[in-house]
Amino acid sequence: MVEKKGARKGKKTQFIALSSANKEYVFNNPLDRQVKYMGEHMKLKLYEDPEGFSYVLWKNKKYPLEIIEKTQNKYTIMLNGVWHIFTVETPFSLKRKKFLESQAGTSAIKSIDAPMPGKVIEVMVEEGTEVKTGEPVLILEAMKMQNEIASHTDGIIKQVKVKANDNVMKDDVLIEIDSSQ
Amino acid sequence: MEIKSLLIANRGEIAIRIIRTAKKMGISSYVLKTSKEPNAWYLDEADHIIDFTECLSDTPEFLDIERIIHTIKENNIDAVHPGYGFLSENPIFAKRCEEEKITFIGPPSQVIHNMGNKTVAKDIARKNNIPLLRGSKGTLLNSGYASKMANIIGYPVILKAAAGGGGRGMRIVENENEIERLFNMASNESAKAFNDSSMFIEKYASKPRHIEFQILADKHGNVVHLGERECSIQRKHQKLLEESPSPALEPALREEMGEAAIKLAKAVGYFSAGTVEFLLDDDMNYYFMEMNTRIQVEHPVTEMVTGIDLIEQMIRIANGEKLAFKQNDINLKGHAIEFRINAEDVQSGFSPSLGTIEKISYPENEYTRVDTGVRDGSVITPYFDSMIAKLIIYGEDRAQTLNRSTNAIRKFWIKGTKTTLSFCRAVLQNRNFRNGQFNTGFLNEELEIHYHSDPEEEMLAAFFAAFDYAREIEESEGKKLNVEKGKNITPWLLNKRLR
Repeated sequence: MVEKKGARKGKKTQFIALSSANKEYVFNNPLDRQVKYMGEHMKLKLYEDPEGFSYVLWKNKKYPLEIIEKTQNKYTIMLNGVWHIFTVETPFSLKRKKFLESQAGTSAIKSIDAPMPGKVIEVMVEEGTEVKTGEPVLILEAMKMQNEIASHTDGIIKQVKVKANDNVMKDDVLIEIDSSQ
Repeated sequence: MEIKSLLIANRGEIAIRIIRTAKKMGISSYVLKTSKEPNAWYLDEADHIIDFTECLSDTPEFLDIERIIHTIKENNIDAVHPGYGFLSENPIFAKRCEEEKITFIGPPSQVIHNMGNKTVAKDIARKNNIPLLRGSKGTLLNSGYASKMANIIGYPVILKAAAGGGGRGMRIVENENEIERLFNMASNESAKAFNDSSMFIEKYASKPRHIEFQILADKHGNVVHLGERECSIQRKHQKLLEESPSPALEPALREEMGEAAIKLAKAVGYFSAGTVEFLLDDDMNYYFMEMNTRIQVEHPVTEMVTGIDLIEQMIRIANGEKLAFKQNDINLKGHAIEFRINAEDVQSGFSPSLGTIEKISYPENEYTRVDTGVRDGSVITPYFDSMIAKLIIYGEDRAQTLNRSTNAIRKFWIKGTKTTLSFCRAVLQNRNFRNGQFNTGFLNEELEIHYHSDPEEEMLAAFFAAFDYAREIEESEGKKLNVEKGKNITPWLLNKRLR
């Protein structure tokens, strides 16, 4: 371990995992499995047990973990049955990301995506309808239940991409809403 | 005629559960193999498999009455157990069995019909002086009538499918503006789910407890109750965990409600196992809701506290045997709780999480029972419900049961799909739940976040993301890592497996 540390000397080995709530977790040399948490330096252990579960050992407790999604630097990690989304940044990329975000205004067109695969039972809005946050816009049947899908934004319906009896996959865009007003 | 062979017209954990008792009683078991899950575990447990993989009609396999009847006769099978869901409360199926001299393990078809129609059931309860909530005496013709009735009863009201169950075809209406839309939705849903769009309306008791009584009745007029199950922890009328006994009931009230359940069963000429559901309000008034004329998902908690095998009793009753015990012989001992572990993403509003169970492991000991139909490699399909397993924990008292539950859930690991385990942890952490102070409003009002994660857990997950990312960079730079193989994690191997 000592040699490896030496080998990395002078290189940027700091990584920041940015949570979906924009909380920054800074790790210096994560490959050394050292973390600093609540002022305490701790060594972590990662294992894979004979049954095929991966887990991290922290303060004598086992936490099962798996990467359930990974695209470039965006991770969805399931730990102890709860998933967390992070983007992993270097100090440089984080700085750039923050700069770009401050420059670009966020897009005014928001989409309502299918939260699960299912069948569209009824579309309750049409193009031009004004909707408020929480207002139901369509009914999706999945796993024998009819679910009301509500708008997550205020705005005007720009486009309805599905109709009754359409089968949709998870994350399919159902409706686009212009929230620029 | 004694039952020697039995078709289980069901799948998953309940099929395995019924096979277990059939084996114990020396009854040979038959199951149906469908193309939707041709490698399911329940198939391996049965003595005989009947191939239903060829699709003959649009009717789903477990709902195809005539095909199932034909199969039973063709294979000379004595009896059929419908489990829960599917044909378990279908009076037409029970009637067809009666006509064909097949023993249907459940009550008579006429009783299923009467209790299955909620308006008829309430009428019977009313005639027997069992307390009821205010509501429509019959079904509602349309949303206009619903609106009129709602004005008389007073909002909030609840619209329910007369043929409903399991939360389908049910809507709570807070005010007049919503009633037409919600009536149409519920009636639509009911038409699809139960082939019957008739609805009734009732005063909505806003935050009652859901308490149900298990009864057993034989064909000779003997009826006993096996105590209650507390099922107040629900989401959209779907039960998520159940326990017995209820922390709310004193012995006197238990006796009174149990008596009411027995009275109703006797009034309708019930036999087999059945469940009488009540609502219990803050003032300890109880109201009859409905009777379920089948085995329930949550039956194990009753089995744990009574030591009685309910499936065995159903078979014995179907055989014409008398109950071997009287009410006084029934001892409720200890405390049991059942957690339903569903393939659902709690963090996305409990949406279904389909996929393959790559790995499943759970604790095994004398106070833990796991009823499941899945094993490593099982696929959670969109065709059936999302239940993966039922974790049932027993203890001498509630406190011990809850502590054992916390430990058991820590050791219940599932890889490959999102599950409601994180929800179970959140409930167990809640102070009011631990104190027994809760009702059906628990999920919406008491539990702000429906899953539990300690702060350091997010940090650990963040670490793993950073670790994996750093490793990728190092790999791409062609560096070598010195890894103790087999002991510590092997990053390359792990990385491949995780993809």
